[in-house]
Amino acid sequence: MKRRKFIKKSLIGGAAITMPFVLPSGRLFASSGNRMADHVVFVAFAGGVRQQESVLQRYLDDSQAYPSAGNIMYNILDGAPPTDKIVYGTTNYVNGDTPIPKMLSQTLQQQGTFFKEVNASVVGHYAGVNTLLTGNYMFTQGLRNKPLTPTIFEYLRRLTGEKATKTWFIGNGIGNSIPLLDYSTHSDYGAQYGANFLAPIVTFGNSGDKHLKNAKVYHPEEELDPMYKMKYFLDNVWYSQGSALPNIGNTEEEKLEIKQFVRDMFQKKDNGSIAFPPISDSGDLQTIGYACEVLKRFKPTLTVIYLSNVDGCHGNFSSYLRSLHRADHGVGHLWDFIQNQVPEMSGNTTMIVAPEHGRNDDPNGIKDANAFYGYDHSDSNSQRIFNMMVGPGIDSNLSIGNENNKVGDIVNIAPTIAEILGFKNDIVNTGLLASNQSFFDLI
Amino acid sequence: MNMHIFRKFIFLISFLLIFACNKEEPVYELNQINSSSYNANKNKLKSTMQYISILYANLFQTALSSNELVEITNCIESIGDKEVAHEIVLSSFMNSQQVLIPSDSLMRSDLNHFIEETYKRFYVRDITEAERKFFIDFFESNPNVSSEMVYMAFALSNEYQFY
Repeated sequence: MKRRKFIKKSLIGGAAITMPFVLPSGRLFASSGNRMADHVVFVAFAGGVRQQESVLQRYLDDSQAYPSAGNIMYNILDGAPPTDKIVYGTTNYVNGDTPIPKMLSQTLQQQGTFFKEVNASVVGHYAGVNTLLTGNYMFTQGLRNKPLTPTIFEYLRRLTGEKATKTWFIGNGIGNSIPLLDYSTHSDYGAQYGANFLAPIVTFGNSGDKHLKNAKVYHPEEELDPMYKMKYFLDNVWYSQGSALPNIGNTEEEKLEIKQFVRDMFQKKDNGSIAFPPISDSGDLQTIGYACEVLKRFKPTLTVIYLSNVDGCHGNFSSYLRSLHRADHGVGHLWDFIQNQVPEMSGNTTMIVAPEHGRNDDPNGIKDANAFYGYDHSDSNSQRIFNMMVGPGIDSNLSIGNENNKVGDIVNIAPTIAEILGFKNDIVNTGLLASNQSFFDLI
Repeated sequence: MNMHIFRKFIFLISFLLIFACNKEEPVYELNQINSSSYNANKNKLKSTMQYISILYANLFQTALSSNELVEITNCIESIGDKEVAHEIVLSSFMNSQQVLIPSDSLMRSDLNHFIEETYKRFYVRDITEAERKFFIDFFESNPNVSSEMVYMAFALSNEYQFY
């Protein structure tokens, strides 16, 4: 009898110990891997960047047949800047004649691992960023449609149970269907695992000043509480008959925090205290400034920042060079800000920088004011990108691949982020990725 | 002669039997009343532009200019959580002097009428008795609930997103 009782108790106890714990995210167990860092900031250095003016540092030498080479991205890459025909800086006497001073004492190339020649098979902006975020080539994906396979935000939230305000997607605008990339239409994922999207130069720009800045501040208990009670009643009645609305799952506290953030940003903008880079004369740089504010306020686990001013290259090569130089300045400022202004993220953040695609080998025939030719993105040269990683546990001063030796693919980025945040096995087990290899697997 | 009178008598009796015993059938009639169906068959999600232009017309009783419509739509597109975005835009509307909502004293003077009209104004349908009971109880137990708060709740509710 005693033995039977012992076996019974042992079985119950064993079952209790091995019983899976169901997280709010719907998964059974916490993520299985160890984190290399608690935060990832991924800068989609997007808009279409030619290898020739970035990694290869050929400036005007290659593109305009003018003998001036040099590095205009000296926060990210090692190399001396060009000395002749400077058009990429700020304006002193003539347009762009004064290069922006370097932000970082050590380049990201020296601090991290640099894949110099990476493949990107799709050469459209939306398809490219879609691939960066989903780890899948969306060959059947239409424009103006949400991704068909889950984004890295959804994997992170579903597989590790992260809150909505721990994942941010910050775009430099609302064009190019960019706001659609906060979550996919995949039946097992979707809105409830999406990221908080923000296009700050719209939210806090002229339209925002006019229509959002004057928003009323309701008292949380005395006004918002009864208001929400009535709304929930109305929504419950509606759910019995009507359709549900997509909801990214911010809790009431998180929503309150976002509203407070929006309010504070208008105040900081008026005070001139937004964390903009020293030079912030472009949409990309303003976006970086507001992204710094998001990092400081929310300390997100995953932040994706989308830049795209370099796309001006179609018709204005000088503007493209300026945008490239400013994007580098912005990335330098961002890394410096994380290390020096956000103690919770300092030394505990990995930054990844990669374009969504390159640009053509041959010009398109459109000349700008400097008689420089523009470049589109459609040929095989557009399939050439780079990938830079810097942060804890990542080899410093390591360069992999070269012009004649492609190593890595754009679809390796999503598993790389998963590996850094400790859920690579889980993301691989979904079977939804185009490649199970991260960039770490390629070193 | 007698036979003639007899025939007339038979004819009269037959006539009375045929037409006098016709039983009148009762007629049941219903008074016709106008009522919109519960949830009013709303199954299409409003676009951001539709939502904002309808909401603005509802609150200000005037049309929003096309420039402002584009600007407000862009503001909403720039914030991922649409509930948060709508709440910020709507609370900005409520800060305007031109917004047309009933005063709190008018609301409190006839709660039944207020909530009936609010359902018609926002949902274009009649209130159900269950809904009426909830709101009347809620208003009575929360004397500080204002007409603005009620309008905010309706404008932010999911049913208002559909048409």
